[in-house]
This record gives sequence, C-alpha cells and structure tokens, in this order.
Amino acid sequence: MGRGRVGQLSPAFPAAVTPQLFVRCDNARVIYLDHAATAPPEPRVVEAMLPHLTERFGNPSEPHALGRQARADLDAAREEIASLVGADPSDVVLTGGGTEADNLAVLGRAQGQPGRMVVSAIEHPAVRRTAEVLARRGWEIAVAPVLPNGRLDLIELWDLVQTGDALVCVMGASNVTGVVQPIADIAAICAEHAVPLHVDDVQTAAGAELDLSDLPGRVTIALAAHKLGGPRGVGAVIGTGVQSLDPIVFGGGQEGGLRSGTEDVAGAVALAAALRIRQGAQAPAERVRRAALRDDLEARLALPVVGVEVERLPGHALLLTGYRGDTVVRLFDERGIAISAGSACASGETLPDATLTAMDIHGDAARSAIRITLGPTSTAADVDAVVAAWTELAPALQLATEASA
Amino acid sequence: MIDLSRAGAVARPDGEGRAGGGRCNDRVRFTLGLVGDRLEQVRFGADACAATTAAAAWLAARAEGGLLLDAARLGLAEVLVGAAIEPAGVDCALTAVDAFHASIGDAVARGAVVSADPNRVVVAMSGGVDSAMVLTQTVAEGYEAVGVTLRLWIDPEAPSPERACCAPSAVRAARDLCHQNDMPHIALDLRDDFRAVVVDPFVAGYAAGETPNPCTTCNGAFRFDAIDRAVQRLGASTWRTGHYVQLVDHAGTPLVARGVDATKDQSYMLALVDPEILTRVQFPLGARKKVDVQHEAAEHGLAAAKALESQEVCFLGGGALAPFLERQGVTMTPGPIVDEDGVELGTHAGALAFTPGQRRGLGVSRGTEALHVLRIDAPANTVIVGTVGRLRRREVSLRDVQVRADTPRIDACFRMRSTPVAGRLEHGPNATATVYLETDAHQIAPGQVAALYDGECIVAAGIVVG
Repeated sequence: MGRGRVGQLSPAFPAAVTPQLFVRCDNARVIYLDHAATAPPEPRVVEAMLPHLTERFGNPSEPHALGRQARADLDAAREEIASLVGADPSDVVLTGGGTEADNLAVLGRAQGQPGRMVVSAIEHPAVRRTAEVLARRGWEIAVAPVLPNGRLDLIELWDLVQTGDALVCVMGASNVTGVVQPIADIAAICAEHAVPLHVDDVQTAAGAELDLSDLPGRVTIALAAHKLGGPRGVGAVIGTGVQSLDPIVFGGGQEGGLRSGTEDVAGAVALAAALRIRQGAQAPAERVRRAALRDDLEARLALPVVGVEVERLPGHALLLTGYRGDTVVRLFDERGIAISAGSACASGETLPDATLTAMDIHGDAARSAIRITLGPTSTAADVDAVVAAWTELAPALQLATEASA
Repeated sequence: MIDLSRAGAVARPDGEGRAGGGRCNDRVRFTLGLVGDRLEQVRFGADACAATTAAAAWLAARAEGGLLLDAARLGLAEVLVGAAIEPAGVDCALTAVDAFHASIGDAVARGAVVSADPNRVVVAMSGGVDSAMVLTQTVAEGYEAVGVTLRLWIDPEAPSPERACCAPSAVRAARDLCHQNDMPHIALDLRDDFRAVVVDPFVAGYAAGETPNPCTTCNGAFRFDAIDRAVQRLGASTWRTGHYVQLVDHAGTPLVARGVDATKDQSYMLALVDPEILTRVQFPLGARKKVDVQHEAAEHGLAAAKALESQEVCFLGGGALAPFLERQGVTMTPGPIVDEDGVELGTHAGALAFTPGQRRGLGVSRGTEALHVLRIDAPANTVIVGTVGRLRRREVSLRDVQVRADTPRIDACFRMRSTPVAGRLEHGPNATATVYLETDAHQIAPGQVAALYDGECIVAAGIVVG
C-alpha cells in the first residue's frame, strides 16, 4: 500500500452531506419529535468535523506538522467550548460521551475511602447506577427528594448535605420531564457546606443557557454532543471542580491526566460547533420559538402535562395520555411521528420511570406517559401532524380501553 | 399497522373472551357477532402494551368475515408473523391469542353451530401425550381434526397449579399442537359446571365421611357429556379420546372394555359413561401399549411427550387432600381415633381427610398390630381403626346401579386398576344391588364406584353404599 495522499477525500466518501439525509427513514419522511433521545445531526456540525476525520487526522501529542495542527485544532475547540459555558479552558475534560462524563465526575471523587454522597432522586442512570455501585462498595448514598412538580426540595437538600460529603449530584434538567433545576440555589447550598456539586447538564445544554462563571464552590457539569446535533461518543466534564477529580481511566495522561487516550479532535470540534448553535447568540431566539410551538402543542392536545407549574426545557413535553404509553408511541410511529414513552417495558413488566415515581406519579398514570421533544428542526407543521394523529387515535384508544373491561 | 377500526365491543355478543392480568396487567377482551358459523363482527378491547394491542387488532381483522372454525385455526405463530411481533413481545401476543380463543370457545359453549362435515373428527385433548398422539394419528388419516380441550379448574393456591389437568399451560399445549397441524382448536370453559358437578359433590362427600371418586364422576357424568354436546355443535359425528380402553359390541350396545396395556387400563374411569354417547366415540389407543405410544410421540417430536402425567385427583394440584378441603371451606376439627370397641387410641387433626384402608399418618398403635382406618363417623368426627382383617369384605351394597348387560357372574373392581374379585350381582329395588364376593376384598369405602366386569367388559356399575 502506498501512502494515502493527504488533503483529498476518498472517492467512497459522500461528496455532500445534505440535511435531507437526516430526516428520511425507510424512504418516508419522519416527523422527528424525540430530540431528547438524540438530536438529528446538524449539517454545520458534520461539516465542521469532516476535515478532522479525513485530512487533518494527526495525533495532537506528536511534534510534526500534522500533530501540531491537530493540537491547535483541539486547543481552539477546547477554548470555544469553555467560553460558551463560562468556564476556563483548563477546566474542560473531553470524554467518550455523556455517560463517561458522569462516571468521571462521580467516581473521580470516590477513589479514596468510602464516604458519603448526596444524589437526587431523579438522576439519569449514568449517575444513579454509578452511585448504586458505590453503595455496594460501602459508600453512604443519601437521596435528595423532589417536590411533586419535579423540582428538588431545597429545604430537604439543605438538611441532607453535610460538610465532609464527597459530592452532591443534581441533574440540571430532567431528560424525562424537562424540568429545570434551580442550580444557582443548589450550588449556593453546596458551597455553604464546602461540598463539590456535579450537574448532569447533558439534557440542559440542548435548551437552556449554561453559565458556570457565577456558580460558587467547586462545580462540574457533564455534556454530550449527540443531544446537541453532534456525534455519539463525545462528551465533556467542565468546571472548577475538574481540578480536584481523580482519573478513572489510565494511560498516556491526555486531558490533564484525567482522561487518557488519544484525543478525538473531530469530536472536540463537533462539540464546539454544536454548543455554538445551542449556546451561542442565536440560541435564545430559537428557544423562544420552540417553547411557543410546545405551548401550542400542549394547549391543543389538552392532556395533563407533567411539571407544567415550573420552568421546563423549551421543547420538552411529558404528557399523561390515559392510555398505554408504549402503545401510543407505536401508533404515532405508524403515522410517521417519532416520539417516546415515559416508561419502559422490560421482560413482561412495565417499569415505572424512577423520575415519575419520585414525583409521586405511579401506576396507570405513569405508564400512560409519552414524551414529545421538539428541536431546532421542528415546525408548526410537525405540531399540526401530532394534533391530527392524536385527534384520530384518541377515540379509538378510548373504545379499545373501555371495551377491555 | 395496528388497525384500531375494530376496537370496541359487539353489543349482544355471541361469544366473549378475556385474558390478561399478570405482572404487566394487560387486559384484552374479544366479542364476537355470529351469523350462522360466520364471524360477522369481531371486536376487541385492549388496555395493553403495543405488542398485545397489535396482536389483538390483527386477530380481529384476520378473523372477521371468516368461519368460526377457521378462526379457531389462528395460532400464536401466525399472529407473530402477521402482526410483526418482536421476540420481546411474544408473551404479550399470547395474551391476545388466549382472549381470542376464549371468545371462540365461549361462542361454542353458548350454542354456535357449525355446519356438518362427514370428514370432521373431534379429538378430546388434555394437553398430554396420549391425546396428542390421537390428534396426530387422526390428521395422518386425512380427517379434519378439531381439538377440544376443557378448562375445568384453576386453583392458584394449590402447591403446583400446573399439575392439575386442563391447567392453562395444558390448554395452550393442546392448542399449539392443533395449530401446528393447521387444525382448529376449541377450549371450552366449563369451570363453573365442573365445580358444581364434580368438585362440590367431592367436597360434600368427604364432609359426609365418604370417599368419593371424582375421576369417575368427571368422565361418566360430566366430561363425556360436555364434549359430546360440543361435537354435535361442531358438525362432527365422531370423536376420539386418548383413553386406554376398548369398546366391545354387545347386542348393539357398546361396552367399555379394558385396554390392551393392563398397566394403563382406564376402563374403570369410564364405568359410568352413557352407552348412547359411546356409540360416537373411538378410543384409538385402546389396542396399544403406552410405551409404544410414548416412543411414537417422541419420534413425532411432540412436546407433550415430556409433559407431566396427571395420575392423582387432578384438581388437588399436586397437594394433599386436607389442605384442599380446607381451601374449599371444609373445617377440620381434631377428634378421637378409636378402635371398634370405642377405646380411644389417639387423636386426629380432622376426620374427614382419612380414607378407609389408610394406614399411614394415623400415629396410633395397639400392641404390635398394624392398624388401618375402618370407617369415618363424620357426625361424631371420629376415625374408627382396626386390623387389616376387619377391612375384608364379602358383601358390598350399591346404589345408582346401571346395567349394560345382564350376566350372572361378575368381577368387581372398586378402584382404578385394582385386582378384580369374582362374585355375583343381586339386584334390589330402586337401582340398588348387592355384590356377593367369592374372596375377600379390601379397602372398600362408601362413595367409591364399583365397576363390574364380565371378563374384559364392564357390564354394570354403581356407587358403594356400605
């Protein structure tokens, strides 16, 4: 094999990446309203990362020109990521995804003797299951409850947090309900007790402004690029708390020793590009637009909305349909509309979602939840399609349910 | 696509079936509207997951407009393909299939009549290996074989509910086999009737200190009647079972005769079956050995070949008699165990669970003699015991005597596969009779069935009075 020429795409690589690529499935247009599960790739992000997957492929640790170029690209991406969330570039650790970021932020404070941690009742499994592992290793895990509206009970939290705790974990915004937590207040409580705070902002970053610059104490956040229109397998832990973490992955000492492994420059560039869209100057107007669509959808469906009393992510709606959530999801899917259910069925048993249980929503109500999440690509026509599908389905579902008794 | 256009219920259904509950609490209900034996309307209700709902909707669409017997051919395998059910949804789809077949069975139970076909043979299926082989053989002979299984009893509190014959898994096994052969299967839910005709008299008999034989009642007065009625509705003139018995013609009356395999002979259980019904029944296994049938079943890959064999009283569900009777509301009160002179030898936890002849579980002794239960005095809650010699009988009184053929000499059996005792039968008034035995018989208890043979054939039968 001869040396591949640098600077040219191989002929097999698609010459152009068109937006249509991302909204077609089985050759039928899909109305994609499951942005909280993963966001459709942003063409601008794909475009930004492509050169780093092809000609700019160097290893940032190498001193030659390609390596120096890659290092410069990585540094630039890191600086942009930091500035977009109000952090210092040296407080950015790139990881292989959101789950790994949460694992680093939690396990990175648990490498010594077992101690105590406070974890909210509505955490994503990336935090909750990690805390369960620590509990089996002798850690005391205190669970911070939420109010029925989905917000953390701050009075309870104040009583729960003890000076000397290794960490407090709170999800910035719930991937289930979209409810946004009062992070400034929570950070103040943690700082008062001199306890580090980790905020899982994987969902938050897609729809709310992130600004770490004003938060007191040692704070980390977790991000994932794919929720923002970027690729899978790219995440980050960011914040002042990064400096006091211990590594959980060992090797060449990249990312300040906190995440060994040859850096994913394309991923870093993609995360920066995605954050630029979701956190940059155009983002506030887009959030307002999306919230208006969501509010219109909720008003027209006239179903109970979870967390409606408090601040939610702008495109996020968790609705109690009164029918089996997974059946509704399937019926929407058959009508070309992709949404998700609030609870998952596993081996013959529908498991109530932990977040809904924590909000005192149980049984048939919890099982009837559907999640509709809008994104930057969502339009008024999408909302019309959902309303039309529901108008068609609801009477038949009511007949089916009534006739089952 | 889940077709919800048949969601709802038929206002005055000709058949209705439900299934569901369990851990995921899915609920499915089918209602049928029949014109003749055509399913004019099939409606479903579902408060269920996507897979269950999809299966129910597909079944309704597939069955509507077709014939009842064709609907009875629709099995799980076809539903999984037709409704595109993922592997994780198989159990969910099964809930819909169960409800659908319950509605078909109910339509037949409510009197739906299928047009007659001389090539149709009903096979009574228990879910076990014997009836499975009869079905396989009947299909091989070129008949349209319609499997019929009776749902008789569910006692979830029994130690092993699935050991009861006609348990849900047995019904499914029979249904699956029919569907593998592209044959219809009908499950008739006769739980209420079974309780009234078989279980309640069994419990009442024990409560009165008798030792009733429920299997003979079930076959003689219940199961054969129920299936024979269904056979006529299903447009068949002949039906088959997997019993190890033969039929012998006696001046135009079919007599039940012992099966060739003496170790599996079931003729005693059929002693009370109406001869008029027997004119329509065939017993293909009567001339065969069980071991050969089992081999052949294994060769055919019949899953039922390994199924549990129900040998005991099926509705006890693998448990002991006393806890069953208590579950049925019979109170067990401790009382005395006495000998025939009234000398108290010990106490029992409840007289009603004892059977004459029983030796184990008494916990009393008198010198070195082995003591057996001689009889139960139910009103006095007393168990009377004595030596084995006191159990010997030469004279047995019968009630409800049915005579198929008058013969001066008989061989009497008082339980399944017991050694026959030669004697003669002397009739009394009002269907009573007395059996005079030539040698001693043991362990004869009131309530048992006496099957009276002439050689291999049952010529008369009655219930032991004392």
